[in-house]
Amino acid sequence: MVVFSGLDRPRGGAYHAFWGCLFFVMLFGGCWVMYQASKSVDYTWRWYRVPQYFYYTETVDVRSEIEGEVTDVATRDNTLLMTVQGSGETATYTLPDGKSLLDEGDFVSMGDVLGTYEKGSPGVLMTGLWITLKVSAMAIVLGIVIGLLTGLARISENPALRWSAITYIELIRGSPLLVQIFLWYFVMGTLINTILSSHGFPQVPSMWFGILSLALFSGAYIAEIVRAGIQSVHLGQMEAARSLGMDYAQAMRKVILPQAFRRILPPLAGQFISLIKDSSLLGVIAVRELTKATRETVSTSLQPFELWIVCAILYLVLTFTLSMFVQYLERKAI
Amino acid sequence: MIHVKELNKYFYVPHEIHALKDINAHICEGEVVVVIGPSGSGKSTFLRCLNRLEYPQTGSIVVDDVDILANACNINKVRAEVGMVFQSFNLFPHKTVLENLTMAQVTVRKRSRKEAEDKAMKLLEKVGIAEKYNAKPEQLSGGQQQRVAIARSLCMDPKVMLFDEPTSALDPEMVGEVLDVMKALAKSGMTMVVVTHEMGFAREVADRVIFMDDGQIIEEGTPEHFFSSPENERARVFLSQIL
Repeated sequence: MVVFSGLDRPRGGAYHAFWGCLFFVMLFGGCWVMYQASKSVDYTWRWYRVPQYFYYTETVDVRSEIEGEVTDVATRDNTLLMTVQGSGETATYTLPDGKSLLDEGDFVSMGDVLGTYEKGSPGVLMTGLWITLKVSAMAIVLGIVIGLLTGLARISENPALRWSAITYIELIRGSPLLVQIFLWYFVMGTLINTILSSHGFPQVPSMWFGILSLALFSGAYIAEIVRAGIQSVHLGQMEAARSLGMDYAQAMRKVILPQAFRRILPPLAGQFISLIKDSSLLGVIAVRELTKATRETVSTSLQPFELWIVCAILYLVLTFTLSMFVQYLERKAI
Repeated sequence: MIHVKELNKYFYVPHEIHALKDINAHICEGEVVVVIGPSGSGKSTFLRCLNRLEYPQTGSIVVDDVDILANACNINKVRAEVGMVFQSFNLFPHKTVLENLTMAQVTVRKRSRKEAEDKAMKLLEKVGIAEKYNAKPEQLSGGQQQRVAIARSLCMDPKVMLFDEPTSALDPEMVGEVLDVMKALAKSGMTMVVVTHEMGFAREVADRVIFMDDGQIIEEGTPEHFFSSPENERARVFLSQIL
């Protein structure tokens, strides 16, 4: 989108063709330099090892839990059914797409392998990506709520509300997120979990403290974005709404916030993108999100370059999708 | 209808200004009062005090038997009865013309959507712009926007209409269409307080003219008397400058 179009002499086709071509030359040039650099490093690239961290198949052994005789081996809808008849008890085992190692009439002891089948599972990077996505999505939703309320409190006339909002914003924005995560998990988390367990409730997992700290962190930034958005709406809008008899809350909800929302979408997108990347810090409280998963994988596979590059690409996929979605919202809102 | 007594208003930002000095005024039901005066004379501030968009420091304002400066006063209720038209229209740009007219009816007057839309369409027809009901404000000309703004206020069935320089932001050829709507409104018996520089309108429609300068009401009277033989020197100078 060009902001100031038409202020200068119109550009011809040659202008766009030349500078467009230059862009692609630079893009491919950059890629070529990266490729040459990667070849010059004394490192054996093993990209073929990467897919297993996304999805892998393993062979599962099915063992008999009772002692007895295999009375029936049947295949139904690609599923292998094996029945073992013991003394007074019968057990049936299902092996999807499985392979039987025994025949009817064979005798099995407890723990003997009856057959095997192949089972596919999401790899460690895939689960990491899913957790990052889940944590970020929840922190974004919670952060919007916190940010909206704080932004409204920030412009309130009530000193308790306004000063609380300022204190919260300055404390959170001025201190490192890592320290906040530690405090939430090891101090508040310990306290909350101690209280919960003494009343017989289940423990809150560390992921929730991670989500909370991320939401509170981005909420402080979102609050300032919201405040700026509200202040950017012309004062006359509030006056018009109030002069029609609407109260402050109605005017805010129906007139001011919808207009502010359109204007704050671009900075909000930036905030959400940094939130997704900030979620990489949650590894320190044992949330196995993408970065933590990558670090673990690197330490076992000894393929740091490939895995960290893949990790970066996965973050890029998340952030780029989000930024496309926000741009779509922006276009729709106009 | 409106009784204003010894009203004083100060602004402290950016520096102290005594904007209204001991204003006394009475506006009767069905009366059309035009407030004129040089810029900075406090006429807009006076008008904005009448529905408490500005809060005066001392004095009293009684609108429709309600003291709007009292602590117990529910100002939202009063404002619903007092229509206000702004110089810069202040239509809601994210809503269509129809939604602009129905919003307050539904949220404040608790009318049903259907009821509100019927009322809105009737008023849009009255101001001659019914075919644009589905347009966004930015697609309308200034004159059309101001007529929508007038219709938006009328939707609330106000007892008084306040106009804050309604034609000052308009292109000259659009002033007429807005003034026509206001004239029709005055003829229908609406109580109106109009701050304007349109002397023709004042002469033709006003029951009474209030001339303000330097935060004070300098002269008050019928338009015939005011325009032909103003008693005050400042009023004479002002009239000689603009006519």
